[in-house]
Amino acid sequence: MAKLSMKERYAALTRDLDWDFDYVDSKEVFPYTTFEGIKIHDWSKWEDPFRLTVDSYFKYQAEKDRRLYAVLDSFAQSQGHLSLHEARYLNAMKLFLQGVTPLEYAAHRHFAFLARFLDSGGPRFAALCQSIDELRHAQTEIHTLSNYNKYYSGFHSWPKMHDRVWYLSVPKSFFDDAISSGPFEFLTAISFSFEYLLTNLLFVPFMSGASFNGDLPTMTFGFSAQSDESRHMTLGLESIRFLLEQDPDNVPIVQGWIDKWFWRSYRVTALVAGMMDYMLPRKVMSWKEAFELYFEEQMMGSLFKDLAYYGIRPPAHVGDAIAEKEHLSHQVYWTLYSFSFAAAFTTTVPDPAELEWLSQTYPESFDKLYRPRWERAAEITEGGGRFFFQGLPQLCQVCQIPMLFTEPGDPTTICQRHSNFNGENFDFCSDGCKSIFDKEPEKYIQAWLPVHQIFQGNCGGPSVPEVLDWYGIQEGDNAEYLGSKDNLNWLSWHDDSAK
Amino acid sequence: MSYEVKQQVVAPIRNAFTYLIERNGDRPATRYEEATIDLQPTENFHYRPLWDPAHEIYDVDYSALKLSDPYSFLDPRQYYYFPYVVNRAGLLESFGASLSYLESRGLLAALDSSWSEVMSHEILPLRHYEAGAQLITQLGSRFAYGTSIEQAASFSAFDRMGLAQMISRVGISLESGSSEILGEAKHAWISSPNLQGLRRMVEELLIEGDWAIALMGLDQIDRIIYPLVWMHLDDVAVKSGAGAFSLIAQHFATWYKDQRKWLDALIRAWVADPVYGLANTAILSEAVTTSSRRAERAVAEFAEAFRPLDANCPATVAELASAARSALSALGIEGK
Repeated sequence: MAKLSMKERYAALTRDLDWDFDYVDSKEVFPYTTFEGIKIHDWSKWEDPFRLTVDSYFKYQAEKDRRLYAVLDSFAQSQGHLSLHEARYLNAMKLFLQGVTPLEYAAHRHFAFLARFLDSGGPRFAALCQSIDELRHAQTEIHTLSNYNKYYSGFHSWPKMHDRVWYLSVPKSFFDDAISSGPFEFLTAISFSFEYLLTNLLFVPFMSGASFNGDLPTMTFGFSAQSDESRHMTLGLESIRFLLEQDPDNVPIVQGWIDKWFWRSYRVTALVAGMMDYMLPRKVMSWKEAFELYFEEQMMGSLFKDLAYYGIRPPAHVGDAIAEKEHLSHQVYWTLYSFSFAAAFTTTVPDPAELEWLSQTYPESFDKLYRPRWERAAEITEGGGRFFFQGLPQLCQVCQIPMLFTEPGDPTTICQRHSNFNGENFDFCSDGCKSIFDKEPEKYIQAWLPVHQIFQGNCGGPSVPEVLDWYGIQEGDNAEYLGSKDNLNWLSWHDDSAK
Repeated sequence: MSYEVKQQVVAPIRNAFTYLIERNGDRPATRYEEATIDLQPTENFHYRPLWDPAHEIYDVDYSALKLSDPYSFLDPRQYYYFPYVVNRAGLLESFGASLSYLESRGLLAALDSSWSEVMSHEILPLRHYEAGAQLITQLGSRFAYGTSIEQAASFSAFDRMGLAQMISRVGISLESGSSEILGEAKHAWISSPNLQGLRRMVEELLIEGDWAIALMGLDQIDRIIYPLVWMHLDDVAVKSGAGAFSLIAQHFATWYKDQRKWLDALIRAWVADPVYGLANTAILSEAVTTSSRRAERAVAEFAEAFRPLDANCPATVAELASAARSALSALGIEGK
């Protein structure tokens, strides 16, 4: 009797728990793994992305959570929010709680789907761990940010806002899209594209921003989630490798998903780009620098070179993403600034030091194209007004971002694409979004587009106050930061002359 | 005596998230409430699932059992992730300590032949029962409506995987680090006649599409098999000098007591619902009637193998099944 190797022991505790069904048809037990056209011949070739058994899982996670909650408790007890760099920073965290935390929760629910319906015990166990990890992330984020909710605006109704507010339909529709796909597309969408390909541009900037702006609890959460995230990233990479190696017919299917989910995820990062360059009073790095480092260097320069071995090429439309890195954050944040009367965060004109930083980090574009807008907005503010866009924006049918992006290579013309389906016209912000629609029009015509819904009378009423009320937005949540409740409270809490 | 630290105190502008204040009144929320209530979206889903276009991404119609307010059920243990993993880290640590002790003293190897026969061919195959239980419970983790319910189901599903691993580790210990015995156990699960009733029921529950009905079916087996294997047989072991089994069984019995807390609370909530209570009770009675008789037969067949240890085992099964029916009746569910 030979002793078990580590690998064999892990198999005995996970995939060897499977048995072949005799009383029912296994196709009925696992009904969802064939309709996408993916061919799996041999699940035994699946390499476990990590070897964590249930007992060590509990041990490590309990230790990490004990440390995290100790920090949260002491931060709350010591009124730690007063030592943030500036209250304005919290706009980034409002966006995070409204836009990202609900995605963690959605990931929890749908990794549970994989933990039930993948037809092999190895990947099911990896999905099982990720499912409750994601619940951890949703809950620890809520607990981290609930202390701010007691002192600041914009945090109080995040679940309702996620389901209703216009800019939050961008992340919500993204994740609904993944969940409503088949299990292998979901893995490619979330484990590979979201967790592996773009996590440093989606999730990490919020954590780094926290660290630069004195937000100790969020930073601690970020570190605490790191080892979970690295398990999730490994699962993403292993899933792709496994699918590609199982059958050559899988390659074009996976390529199509990589094309789609790169662009879908990349469009969600547009909000992060605006956050990084404009919402953080203390900048971590510019969007452009982050994109160059984490995407162009690490993914294009390395990952896609490795994937070429399998016949996978870089995602379609990646050139458009690279070409707009000088413009993305400015165009997005200008839109958020113009519509922030209808948002659950506040915006403001960058201060002179920030304008200078923007000029230096975006030498090709900022002074020429975007600084003049801010100067004009500042003039209006100095005159006692505040520039807001009147009316409702047109949204892209796929990514649901207002049609604000410019033509590739022409930053002065708004990009507009159209498709006709069943006699109806649909609008898109880019070639990337249009090609996603054209492949699955039956899916994307279902989209719950916030602006259409307002016009159809489904959002509380026709007037702005009625819609804001339906969104759950209260006075102080929205519009201009300077003079807002958060701003005034912050000033009075830090007014030394009053003491 | 105590000293007083002067602290800069800023008065909060609100006590809790708005939706918690609307539900609970204007008071600070507990961490369980913050981690649970209203997390699951209920409206404005963008796309129908390709894998089930008849339903929304989250849909009350994934089960016939319904609550008019999903949060009328709250986990009496107040488990969200942090207390859950802390509790289970403790459970697994004590289990690990028991197993190390048994290994270090050679106590599993020292079990007499009738006990070691039962361990290898009856107890170890239950790792597959637990693995099946994980799959059955997992359906609720995805499809239950409302975070309070799905969260408890998610933890329970993860527990079942943990229990499957605990049993497997006993097997690995029994054979000082090899896995042949686990192969034999799988063979027994697949081919021993006395295990086929159980296996068949587990497999059939895996194709039950209603997560709640499937979970109730599993629970009918648990209600007999847990008291039989991990409590009654524990008593037999203590009396017959097989203390090694008792050291293992205690941890499974501890888990089962914890499992009962949320599941019985959920059944109470279904029965008490002001809108759906009557319909739920009728559906539960129907489901329980079908599955509890089958569960009793399946466990009775299984328990035949325990005769060498305890001649009374078959009668015990009948008693436990009757106790299970009384417990359900106390919750308002009368079998037919």
